Amino acid sequence: MSAKAPPKCPQQADHPLLAKVKEALGDAVLSHGVTPEGHLCVMVPAAKIRDVANAVKSMGFDHVLSLSAVDYMGEKKFLVMYVFASYLSPELKNQLLHVRAEIPRDDPKIASIADIFPSADYEERECHEMFGIWFEGNPHMGKRFLLDPDCCIDEKTGKPLYPLRKDFKVPDWGLMG
Amino acid sequence: MPMAQALREFLMKKAKLEPLFKWGVRWSLWPVHLVTSCCGVEVAHTSAPGFDAERWGVLPFHTMRQSNVILVEGTVTKKMAKVLKQVYEQMPEPKFVIAMGACAVRGGLFWNSYHVVQVDTVVPVDVYIAGCPPTPEAVIRAFIMLHNKIKGKPGPYVEPVKVDLTPYLPPPPKPPAAKPAAPAPQQQQPAQ
Repeated sequence: MSAKAPPKCPQQADHPLLAKVKEALGDAVLSHGVTPEGHLCVMVPAAKIRDVANAVKSMGFDHVLSLSAVDYMGEKKFLVMYVFASYLSPELKNQLLHVRAEIPRDDPKIASIADIFPSADYEERECHEMFGIWFEGNPHMGKRFLLDPDCCIDEKTGKPLYPLRKDFKVPDWGLMG
Repeated sequence: MPMAQALREFLMKKAKLEPLFKWGVRWSLWPVHLVTSCCGVEVAHTSAPGFDAERWGVLPFHTMRQSNVILVEGTVTKKMAKVLKQVYEQMPEPKFVIAMGACAVRGGLFWNSYHVVQVDTVVPVDVYIAGCPPTPEAVIRAFIMLHNKIKGKPGPYVEPVKVDLTPYLPPPPKPPAAKPAAPAPQQQQPAQ
């Protein structure tokens, strides 16, 4: 594991959307940055993610484009990354809003936003089975979605393993062992 | 059905219909596609007029119950492996499996994935096609290898087609008639 972990919010910079986002989110913005593609990225506390989602929805963003996570094993943290986009709002047509929240790695729980943004439902289910993050409020937690039901299960304990975590080992039934 | 079984054995062994049976199987290899990745595009070219694999009896068909070759085109995940096994068991005998592409042969790009299996751990494979993705010529070559396997001579050996074209060709040009030897140039200058 010599690869350097990527920065959580790339760099401090100004962005035309920043004033509007700070006005809408209030003190939920811990820090902000701009991704290499030129989109605004804000860090928020994980406990306020539902308030943030409601505020983002009132700004005009109407769907979740992507929801994923990054495993920072050295810091024992998961970074949950939400990307919001808009189909309908003309001034947000070319904008994406990255919202990121940190959760502890040994107790990965965060509130579900699937009832606010229905498009986050599938993403949360996939993120749950790949990383083991428990989205509280989503009724499909604990079930398999994309993976095979017989795949990625610890033989000794019978508990599911999460293949995109950094400490996952490809088991013996992998091609090269 | 022992009666039908006995009749079949009589026809195949006693009446020596096996060569005819093999000939029939050989020229009607109808593949059913299991298109799991991009190799399916190449198989589309194989059956298109440019390469026209139907010259070798390869007719792409859509139901596994009416075809006898299964062409695994690409990555097979653990979920898809169950489908592959089910499709294989639904096919009538005799049946053959062709594993196409690096993913189906050895995992390819996904060689250390948690969710990818090799095809030959699921069903018995007759012919492998290497490549990422293989060209349509390679697919046709695989079907000819399958021909050879049914004939009893497995391998990529392809018999050259020898056709005598001399009746259809224009007569070869006649060798030029020997000209009379030109007189030797007289370059000798009179000695002075």
